[in-house]
Amino acid sequence: MPADWPRALAILLLRFGIWIAPHDTLDWGHGMLSELNHVEGNWSALIWAFGGAGVLAKHAMLALVLPGSHRRTASSASELFAKEIPMRKPALAVIASCVVASLLFFLAPVFRQAFRVSLAQWHEVLHVDRWLADTETGPELDALAKKAEQNRDPEGLAFVANRHPNQTQRARFADEAVHLDPNLTWIYGVAGIAYLSPSEIDRRISLLKQWEPEDALPHLLAADKIGVRVTYSKEFPQGKLEENPAWEKEMSAAFQSPKLDTYRDRQKQLDQRVLSRYRIDDPFQATASEDWYGFPSYGIWGCSRYAQLLLESGQTLESRGDRKAASEKYWEVAHFGQMMGDGAGITFFMRENMKDAYGRLGALSQMEGNNAAAAFYTSLADQFDKAVDKRRLLLDNRIQGSDVSHWNAFLVRLSGLVMLFCTALLLLCGLGVVIRNRSLKLGSLHPSRATLALGFSAAVGSLLSSAILFVSYRPYAELLQRSLSKGDDTQLFELSAFLRDTQLPIGSQFNLGPGSWYVGSSRVVFYFWLALTILCALAFLIAVLRHFHHRTRANATI
Amino acid sequence: MKIPRISTQTLVVLERFIERPASWRYGYELSRETGLKSGTLYPILMRLAKFSLLETKWVTTEDGVPPRHTYRLTAKGAELARAQQATSPSAAHAAARRRPAFSRGKA
Repeated sequence: MPADWPRALAILLLRFGIWIAPHDTLDWGHGMLSELNHVEGNWSALIWAFGGAGVLAKHAMLALVLPGSHRRTASSASELFAKEIPMRKPALAVIASCVVASLLFFLAPVFRQAFRVSLAQWHEVLHVDRWLADTETGPELDALAKKAEQNRDPEGLAFVANRHPNQTQRARFADEAVHLDPNLTWIYGVAGIAYLSPSEIDRRISLLKQWEPEDALPHLLAADKIGVRVTYSKEFPQGKLEENPAWEKEMSAAFQSPKLDTYRDRQKQLDQRVLSRYRIDDPFQATASEDWYGFPSYGIWGCSRYAQLLLESGQTLESRGDRKAASEKYWEVAHFGQMMGDGAGITFFMRENMKDAYGRLGALSQMEGNNAAAAFYTSLADQFDKAVDKRRLLLDNRIQGSDVSHWNAFLVRLSGLVMLFCTALLLLCGLGVVIRNRSLKLGSLHPSRATLALGFSAAVGSLLSSAILFVSYRPYAELLQRSLSKGDDTQLFELSAFLRDTQLPIGSQFNLGPGSWYVGSSRVVFYFWLALTILCALAFLIAVLRHFHHRTRANATI
Repeated sequence: MKIPRISTQTLVVLERFIERPASWRYGYELSRETGLKSGTLYPILMRLAKFSLLETKWVTTEDGVPPRHTYRLTAKGAELARAQQATSPSAAHAAARRRPAFSRGKA
């Protein structure tokens, strides 16, 4: 790097200051620049330029806020420094090119999708009571619901039933779908049951049991309903769920069922068909069922609790010497755990119960002198133990998403925000120029240099943020496309985690692992509205200043 | 135009001007003499010129060197400076204690 770079930087700084300075300060700017030739020492020159450029920038800002205070005057400097290149036209050309290039991005469907995703963070900011209201669906889901009802499309109705935020509407759409196509009765296992009256829930569970008598899920749903009543109703003492015979009966039926189908695969296939039939490319709709484990809310907890009951009763039987009956109890737990692993992939939640069950089976085999069986059960229990860390990692990854997704979501939110800010700034600059020149004719519009500098920065910022938004979102558009066209949803959880992050207002984060930080989104929403209020107050202050600035300031200080 | 109140830094600048009221002075020369940085000095010069207390001129010193902006008090400015010097002599002492803005350089 050349040794005199501070001086070169000082010259650049002052030239920029002169470029944005209002006309009546040009002489002064050129004066500071010419004095720079006489300042000895490169760093001293840079300090000189900083001071001078600061003065010119202050006048440029004042000229923007109070336009009348810096009138165009005949400049002697313009004669002396006639070689200065006029920058207005090139700057306008660059601004126009950047704006056109930014708009061209919108021709790409992936970019439009990315832009919609980047706007998701505003839902939280603009609809503070979104989660409480629980009634908003979004325009795409509304349109789909209308079309599905008009066409009497059972799959479309089932799709809406699974996504509608209003529980009554969910139940209605699910009923209509099943009425049109009884093969869709499984939709009751996925949607349309919670928050209904007990008799309505019973009717739907009964239909589900008739439709799939061998499945454990209807029994789990029935047990879930009882669990909710016992937990929240005053007619049952707390913590006595295990003593409720109806709950025990349903759980027993679930554990003895030959299969456990949570209808997750059916649901994914239905989603894929409906999304492509109605040409919906909304990633939020495509991943709406990704976080669903296929179990009712109390299901996992209830299963673990019932498994514990079985293990305890097995131990009691064992102590009485009834090893066969005890073994059957342990097998029941192991069998159900295996079904959970096959069907829902959530064996993780019953790992302790299954480890105990295999351990007890191993101990019983040892007592009976069957060493081979004992070794087999012990190895199963050990494998389970070893797999725990791996499963936990997989589960964490599935729930939280990777760090790459977090960063990409951050970039998408940031670039979306910068795009909006730059667009607003550009519009303000344009509006300011039109108001100042009192004309809409392009030829008669003469933006000041400070306005040009602001417009230039906004246009370049808009183009850069558009490019970053496109590049950051592109991999997730690929994942979505792969899922919709080929049914490959192996990486859909990554898209789901990414989309979850994009819905948080920028500045708020959930736990990202060690060294990460947490800021509640409600606090960010508060700061956003605070900043907006301060900006509005400043704008009002400037308007008042502009109104009164023509008055002579008799008490001013030189 | 009514003359507004005068700050201490402005008084220091006025004192420098009044030492040689007929001479044209350079910005950097004034900065070194008063110890004021460019960010402080130029707003003062600009305000003095705005109130017609200072006149400015471009001068070419030597071939190949860009012209320099020079400043001199107007008759009104000189009158005000003298009046201020008579009423508040402390500014000179304040200026004497002030550290120069730039330790090296030619004016």
